[in-house]
Amino acid sequence: MSAATAVLKRLRFSRELVLLGVLIALVIVMSLLSPLFFTLGNMLNTSRYFVEVGLMALGMTLIIITGGIDLSVGSNLALVSVAIGFTFAAGLPLPLAILFGLVVGMAAGFFNSVFITFLGLHPLVVTLGTFALFQGLAYGLTGARAVSNFPPWFAYFGQAYLLGAVPGQLIIFLVAVGVVWLILSRTSFGRYVYAIGNNEEAARFSGVPIRWVKVAIYTGIGLLVAIAAVIYTSRVYTARGDVGLGLELDVISAVVLGGASIYGGSGTIAGTVLGVVIIAILRNGLLLAGVPSTWQLFILGILLLVAVFLNEFFRKGEE
Amino acid sequence: MSEPEETRAGGTAATEAAPVFKLDGVTKRFGGVVAVEGVGFDVRPGEVHALVGENGAGKSTLMKIVDGLYSPDEGVLEVGGEAASFSSPRDAEASGIAMIPQELDLFPELSVAENLFVGRKRPRTRWGGLDWEAMRVEASKKLEALGVSLDPTSAVKRLSTAEQQIVAIARALVGETRAVIMDEPTSALTGREARQLFGIIGDLTAGDVGVVYISHRLEEIFEISDRITVLRDGHHIKTAPASELDAEELVRLMVGRPLNELFTRSESSPGETALEVKGLTRDGQFEGVDLALRRGEIVGLAGLVGAGRTELAQSIFGIRRPDSGEIFVEGEEVRIHSPQNAMEKGIFYVPEERRSQGLILPFSIKNNITLSILDRVSRLGFVSRSERGIADRFMGDLSIRGAEVSDPVSRLSGGNQQKVVVAKALAREPNVLLLDEPTRGVDVGAKSEIYRLMDDLAKEGKAILLISSELEEVLSMADRVLVMREGRITGEFSRGEATQEGVMTAATGGQEKGVPDDE
Amino acid sequence: MTSEARAQAAGTERGAGFRRYLRRPEAPALAFLVLLLVVFSVLSGKFLSVTNLEAILTSVAVLGIIALAVNQVVLCGEIDISTGSMLGLCAVAGGATAQSTGGFVLPLLAAVVVGALCGAINGSLVTLGRIPSIIVTLGMLYALRGVILLVTGGTWITGVPNASRFLGMGNVFGLSVPVIVLFGLFVVMEVVGRHTTWGRNVYAVGGNRRAARFAGLPTDRIRFSAFVLVGVFVGVASMIYMGRAGSVQTNTGTGLELQVVAAVVIGGTSISGGRGSSLAALTGAILIGVILNGLVLVGVPGIWQQAVLGALILLAVTTDVVRRRLVGDTV
Repeated sequence: MSAATAVLKRLRFSRELVLLGVLIALVIVMSLLSPLFFTLGNMLNTSRYFVEVGLMALGMTLIIITGGIDLSVGSNLALVSVAIGFTFAAGLPLPLAILFGLVVGMAAGFFNSVFITFLGLHPLVVTLGTFALFQGLAYGLTGARAVSNFPPWFAYFGQAYLLGAVPGQLIIFLVAVGVVWLILSRTSFGRYVYAIGNNEEAARFSGVPIRWVKVAIYTGIGLLVAIAAVIYTSRVYTARGDVGLGLELDVISAVVLGGASIYGGSGTIAGTVLGVVIIAILRNGLLLAGVPSTWQLFILGILLLVAVFLNEFFRKGEE
Repeated sequence: MSEPEETRAGGTAATEAAPVFKLDGVTKRFGGVVAVEGVGFDVRPGEVHALVGENGAGKSTLMKIVDGLYSPDEGVLEVGGEAASFSSPRDAEASGIAMIPQELDLFPELSVAENLFVGRKRPRTRWGGLDWEAMRVEASKKLEALGVSLDPTSAVKRLSTAEQQIVAIARALVGETRAVIMDEPTSALTGREARQLFGIIGDLTAGDVGVVYISHRLEEIFEISDRITVLRDGHHIKTAPASELDAEELVRLMVGRPLNELFTRSESSPGETALEVKGLTRDGQFEGVDLALRRGEIVGLAGLVGAGRTELAQSIFGIRRPDSGEIFVEGEEVRIHSPQNAMEKGIFYVPEERRSQGLILPFSIKNNITLSILDRVSRLGFVSRSERGIADRFMGDLSIRGAEVSDPVSRLSGGNQQKVVVAKALAREPNVLLLDEPTRGVDVGAKSEIYRLMDDLAKEGKAILLISSELEEVLSMADRVLVMREGRITGEFSRGEATQEGVMTAATGGQEKGVPDDE
Repeated sequence: MTSEARAQAAGTERGAGFRRYLRRPEAPALAFLVLLLVVFSVLSGKFLSVTNLEAILTSVAVLGIIALAVNQVVLCGEIDISTGSMLGLCAVAGGATAQSTGGFVLPLLAAVVVGALCGAINGSLVTLGRIPSIIVTLGMLYALRGVILLVTGGTWITGVPNASRFLGMGNVFGLSVPVIVLFGLFVVMEVVGRHTTWGRNVYAVGGNRRAARFAGLPTDRIRFSAFVLVGVFVGVASMIYMGRAGSVQTNTGTGLELQVVAAVVIGGTSISGGRGSSLAALTGAILIGVILNGLVLVGVPGIWQQAVLGALILLAVTTDVVRRRLVGDTV
């Protein structure tokens, strides 16, 4: 390998290095703002909050790499949450109710993919529609009521500690990170995802099973959303139809912050994980520092815009 | 309608006139690749100046400089005797130069009349609103001046390609146009429609408009042009009056060496039928096509652009779905719904549009070559390291030069990129190869290598369909030549029988030179 | 020449005119609206009364006005989903002004200026920043909501003087002002869309951006101004909203952006740009109003609104695709 290609390889890692730098700087600033911040307890606790966003961001990374988007993840989370809560309340054993929730999540993702692949509609419009549809269903089906009389063991998914201090869902997240990373970087499926995002037409002419890949990733994010919904419902110990609002913003922001181009073709799992952690720390740190929660949406919205802008700016610079 | 003879006479008279525009010593580079170097070119009022050269010779680049789409790295553009620099087609238009690109820049949802006025001053009513009636009248007038009657209120997307072409010409003539650049205007036209276009060109030159005419069709060029400029590999080779050149000389100038040195074709002995198509039809694109390819055989498929050849090949490959007809592979009827199906049956299509359909440009050479065999080199879905060896082997076999196997394919030259597309197909080990314009935009050296490769593949027993608009290529490489016109096979010639004239007659519908127009 | 146009010219004039009308983008939505009016009239005796119809039109005025402007953005080939929060912020600006000055002119001015500013931010990020409009306006949707909470401190603006509520409550010649404003702006947009260069350029930019640039159209300026137009119209709509509600809550306009996009695409404007009309946006908005109103009248609980809306969006875009496949319209 020539020296030039070696340098290029290293440059490709630099985006993640920059993010790592940002993360470290953020931790330092937050520690200065609040003495509570840089404690192991708080660090581990913070992870409780980013696991749900993180799981969805893993799926969103694949979708954004193919040049698509899914605005319906927050609504889907609400739908799965009430699917579990209300089938349980109706008498279904909780394990079956959870299984049912996972099926609902995947079905919702599959529903999106049918419109996108077989009708050829833009993912943006489809998921804008299902954003309203899923949320409306979650709200309408439950009549805006809540369920919270879960058995104690249900708390295990969202409130348990392993080894004394490690939140249980962190393990689930790390496993999911490993699985999705393997899929994206080592399998032919992952190669297809990048091929579709870079040039869908050439991918089709090369025999890439485009529909299958898209159905798989949208259904897959449905599964990840459903897992997140189980954790979320367990954590707050309540199933309600009006949860998950605005989650899509956190998720998309994390992925884009992690370096995925909104135009498709590029993005990594490592970048996304860094993006997720940065956003979580930002939220947690601001909270601890006494910044009113009203600021958070504002900062998040701005962060998304800045991240996309910088991404495309640097991408142009590379060319 | 002026006769071509008159046009030519007018052109001779115009030789003393100052050129409408003139390029001098123009050089344009893209990255490290030199597209044109030190080229001079001019067009005078009332003449048709043909610009010829092989694909990739630099014709389009040169004209895009005139049109303000590119700015030259060196050299000058003079318009009406003064140095000019355009930064957009709009600037060129303001100076009276209009370009009609091959892919028409029209607004499909808008009406014919409105298409003529987008970006221009539009007539207004007394009340200050847009005067649609005046626009319609004005548009009708322009269209009638071109000798056609189109409903100016019809949406452009509902027009045929030829009608859209005429709208584009009308649009180019709305302002004070002194020169029109036409980039392969007849590539999608039937013989009759092309005649109509020549009539329009005659009218333009009679009105002292200079016409730059880019085309691959030598007969056309000799019929309508006054002067001819030949480009090759980005260099200016020759400019001469059309009367001083003949077809053979022109081809030699374009190619740079005698044709027989370019092509490699061994004696062939075709075996069993590998692919057979019966009555294949796709409404509006091709109809009732019968076709058979035998092992070890190269079958040329000639015809005009738009005759339905690409659509036919893509339907066999499962990209488009035919409405009726049967496909047989090795004698067995097969149903092909997708490229994956086709590949399983041993069919591979190498597309015409290399950059948009053939390659994932940011991918490495390796990842491009192995994209279609990932299912074969994967275990449990995981890509095995053996793909590297396969990619290395094809880089060597096809002598792909200019970059490492792990470099992005975008770093290669056009010819080497084309070899990567072919390598991707060969990696799949197909029995039937459908090659769509495989040497388009490829330099002469790579061309000759691709021909040698085709010959080798035929010797190995592969059946090859060669779709090409370059007659020399079809005639030199094919064992059999089929000709398509307007979606039907209109001629079949064995290697011995095929001649330029015969193929062209079948392709254009029998409108040979000398036959008077019915106008 | 065997073009359809020729054949059509040869056909009977009335038949050709009718067929041409059917090709208009808003035709299916308009037909559906008429059908729906008939169905609801049959189902509920109260539906087809002047009072109820005026009530429906009054209730869709805010939605319709914003849809008219977003329609232009969509025609350009862009999208704006920040209008919900923008409405809230404009209402806050107008409300605060109303509290201190009274009258309806100054609050309106304040709301319009704030709206135009928000639109200008959207427009510059899309054109100068080269960020896709969906991302820009998604970010702005949340950022602006944050701004609302910030400037109000989470408290409502109440006690808006009656004089300031004219745009929402007023009556002129026996017609409610919201309805007058809605139809006034509709007429303006129809004229703009048919009889001004800007209006036609919007179609050109959305229909073929590349060709528009080559034709010398200022594509960035046109798209930018469409986003500003949305801000201005949202400003006007926010004062109708405030006038009707009498107060401004911090969650004003939540979810409205969805209804707006739904109105535009249901009406028949193509989400990929270049095809559509102001009548489409108006039809879409009224259709949504009629459906939501009709559902209430036939006894469907209000909590289903969101689900119906989502289903309508999907239905509209799906029928558009199916229609195009049937008539072989690929563009």
